[in-house]
Amino acid sequence: MLKLIQNEWMKLWSKKATWVMAGLLIVLLFASAGITKWIGSTSPAPEADWQEMATMDMVMYQDQLQNPDLGAAQTDFYEQQVAITEYRLANDAAPFETESLQQQVLDSHLMLSLVTLFTVIVGAGIVAAEFSQGTIKMLLTRPVKRWKILTSKYVTTMLFALLFAVITIASTAVAGLIFFGIGDGTFLVWNGSEVVEGSYWAEALKLSVLSLASTWMIGTFAFMLGTVFRSSSLAIGVSIFLMFVGVQVVFLLQRFEIVKYYLFTHTDLTQFYTGFMPVPDITMTMSLIVLTVYFLIFMVISYWTFAKRDVTA
Amino acid sequence: MSNEKIVEIRKLSKTIGNKQIIKNLNLDLHKGEIIGFLGPNGSGKTTTIRMMVGLMRPTEGDVLINGKSVRHDFEASIEKVGVIVENPEMYKYMSGYKNLVHFARMHKGVTKARIDEVIEQVGMQNRIKEKVGSYSLGMRQRLGLAQALLNDPEFLILDEPTNGLDPSGIREFRMYLRKVASENNVAIFVSSHLLSEIELLCDRIAIIQNGELIDIKNVNEHQKSRYYIEAKPAEQAKQVLEEIGFSVQPHDRGYLIDTEPEHIPGAVKLLITAGIDLYTIQPHRTTLEDQFLEMTGGGEIAQAHTK
Repeated sequence: MLKLIQNEWMKLWSKKATWVMAGLLIVLLFASAGITKWIGSTSPAPEADWQEMATMDMVMYQDQLQNPDLGAAQTDFYEQQVAITEYRLANDAAPFETESLQQQVLDSHLMLSLVTLFTVIVGAGIVAAEFSQGTIKMLLTRPVKRWKILTSKYVTTMLFALLFAVITIASTAVAGLIFFGIGDGTFLVWNGSEVVEGSYWAEALKLSVLSLASTWMIGTFAFMLGTVFRSSSLAIGVSIFLMFVGVQVVFLLQRFEIVKYYLFTHTDLTQFYTGFMPVPDITMTMSLIVLTVYFLIFMVISYWTFAKRDVTA
Repeated sequence: MSNEKIVEIRKLSKTIGNKQIIKNLNLDLHKGEIIGFLGPNGSGKTTTIRMMVGLMRPTEGDVLINGKSVRHDFEASIEKVGVIVENPEMYKYMSGYKNLVHFARMHKGVTKARIDEVIEQVGMQNRIKEKVGSYSLGMRQRLGLAQALLNDPEFLILDEPTNGLDPSGIREFRMYLRKVASENNVAIFVSSHLLSEIELLCDRIAIIQNGELIDIKNVNEHQKSRYYIEAKPAEQAKQVLEEIGFSVQPHDRGYLIDTEPEHIPGAVKLLITAGIDLYTIQPHRTTLEDQFLEMTGGGEIAQAHTK
């Protein structure tokens, strides 16, 4: 199996497109940091200092807590924010500025949708290309069962996603260091009983891993489409369309029970830690179960069609 | 050629939709023999070959390679088989060498030394590090042969291996194939619609039409000694020939007689003394092509017209 993955990895990186994607990702991340810097330098300095901002946030958090529709995860979140903000004001502990390495790293998971985009391209093409090139018949006439070949391709797609996620976080950090440098401020977390100083790296990692659930699901979906329809353009098109439209549909379905079984209600796992939840009464456990069920369905369809298919290409 | 079976095709059938493409095919291949698989386009050659190598699933029946079922024990059955299905498509964006490394990793125990050996066997040392995209079709065919030889196969399956090659390319490929067959002592199953090609290469020929095996014959057995005679007046010539005991069949503008070369001068003398003008007398060889067309009833043409 290791050799098969090695093969897929070699083919992936023998294509110019893969290197272009990696280059593009790094350029985009640096450009985004550069633009933040540029906007910061051209707009006037904020009138309020951090204490005033924090006081305003506090009012907003307490406002939110009055909302009767709030889910359990949201209540937790706002209560923690209140506690942390109180602590900041009491102990004069400023948060990170936007223009600092730390805040950039904390926000890096927001850029992981780029990784999803590239993963869709790779996942959609990794099986479909073998068919369109005609190499599939060379691949399947080896003493290796089909499911093993498909597994090696799936694992390679996911390794690619992981590598690109690492590149994203690393590039953000390097760009942050170059453009902004290490800023002042402290990172605070609620450890269950009190507010303590936490590691912003650990927080960034947590949010990134949670964000990758969406990459994983959409990537798997694209992989399935590419395997079933043997057309990478179709798979890429449909996957990217769903990636943007799928989340919007959550708002349309909001009032109905069925929304709880809808994939895109659950793809953003960071929602349990950021307070923004379109469907408030879901839990992390529920989301993980729904995602797993979807994942299994996608996998069964992929493996079944790939193993049974008569190769006539 | 030994009598040990390497491949047994057993009651192989394939139905797609409600059309039966392959009908109850049975065929044995023996170690060290080269078998031609001949049939007009659309007769089911490629489908049969695809079922033999696991690309398609038979509706019924099975293929045993070295006694192991392709359907139920795929990895073991295909272990010592080399395959080229139609044009060997390679990864164009990689070098020939990387392509070989790629396929070598999918077999057990193919060493780097073996890869180099195969490259040398097909004479590609000079260009192996270049991208496959820059290769000519002939080069790609050779690389295709190289990848099929990596696992030191006991059995090679080639589907239309010379498709798209120019005459010199075909000759070159045949040369390599012969060399490889004799050096590695492998059984070869080669499909083609190029009859002359098959005739030059094969020991036995299996002929398929409309999904049915219609004949299996040895290449050497069909050469009977026959002569073609054209003379005028034709009727009189026929009479003379029949009188001396030849069986005479009309053919073209003259007649065919089955006889050995030593009887020809006598026959000529008789014709001359009977005052007959002799225009042509020559040995007549039925080519495989004639036989093939005779058997399949010019399948390709017939099909083209009914469509």
